[in-house]
Amino acid sequence: MKTEDDKDGVADRLIDWHFRVEPEITKIYRIFSPEENAPGEPIKLLEVNLATFCTGSVQAFAFGPADDIPYPSVVAEVTPEEMDQILAHKIALPRGWSIEAAKEFTRRNHEGSR
Amino acid sequence: MSTPDRTAWAYGYAKQSRSDFALYQRLELSGEERCHCLHFLQMACEKIAKAYRFRDTATSEERLTTEHVAFSQFIDSFLASGDMKRRYRDHLEQLLRMRQHARLLAREIEKLAPAVDREGTPVNAEYPWQEGEQIVSPCEYGFPQLELLKGPLGRSFLKLVKVAIDDFEHLRIH
Repeated sequence: MKTEDDKDGVADRLIDWHFRVEPEITKIYRIFSPEENAPGEPIKLLEVNLATFCTGSVQAFAFGPADDIPYPSVVAEVTPEEMDQILAHKIALPRGWSIEAAKEFTRRNHEGSR
Repeated sequence: MSTPDRTAWAYGYAKQSRSDFALYQRLELSGEERCHCLHFLQMACEKIAKAYRFRDTATSEERLTTEHVAFSQFIDSFLASGDMKRRYRDHLEQLLRMRQHARLLAREIEKLAPAVDREGTPVNAEYPWQEGEQIVSPCEYGFPQLELLKGPLGRSFLKLVKVAIDDFEHLRIH
């Protein structure tokens, strides 16, 4: 069972915040690694954002832990077209990331899950 | 012995910027104090700005090697470049929004260098400053003015900086 302060609860809060502050995000994939529960392993999010610009690659950025989000996080934003290419394995994800091991959140199903 | 030309300097700055940015990211991930993370972000930004200005403008070498305020000017030019206009082709509104926020963030990042506007805004990423009767060390300070970096516009801004670094060879500002 997840609580507000464990990693899953914090990840949910982060996803919720991203949906709320950026109306142009349509989907968020939470990526899980085989070492997801290892200390220091960040929360990893791949976000599909209509407002971002295309680079033809996945640029992921790290953010340190803070009071409200006490885990490090790594967030990448891609356009819907880039996401299609990721799903078709034409654009590579950062090392250690796999879309097959990801959980997908849409704005609607995330709002419904709260 | 021949003197290195501006292009050689430009590539030297771009290379160092890439290394600074990578360290900024490693420091963030390992949860180091904000001041250290932001210090390396500031240096990455300053150097990539200088790299482009060395290569693509006629700004004097002396000015480029001594000033710390190249970044906000650079971001304006970078967002106005043909390549960025193409990338934002169907999102003109977002480009305009990005320009406003990028300018603001770029200015805040510039101010992290202790030599920039020390009297007006003593907050910086390296040296202690006086606040009333207190002395504040950067390692104890949260840098709330740069919280915006964690939001969507901040992430787009970082993406912009990363593209400027990664695609230095192919992109031009003039």
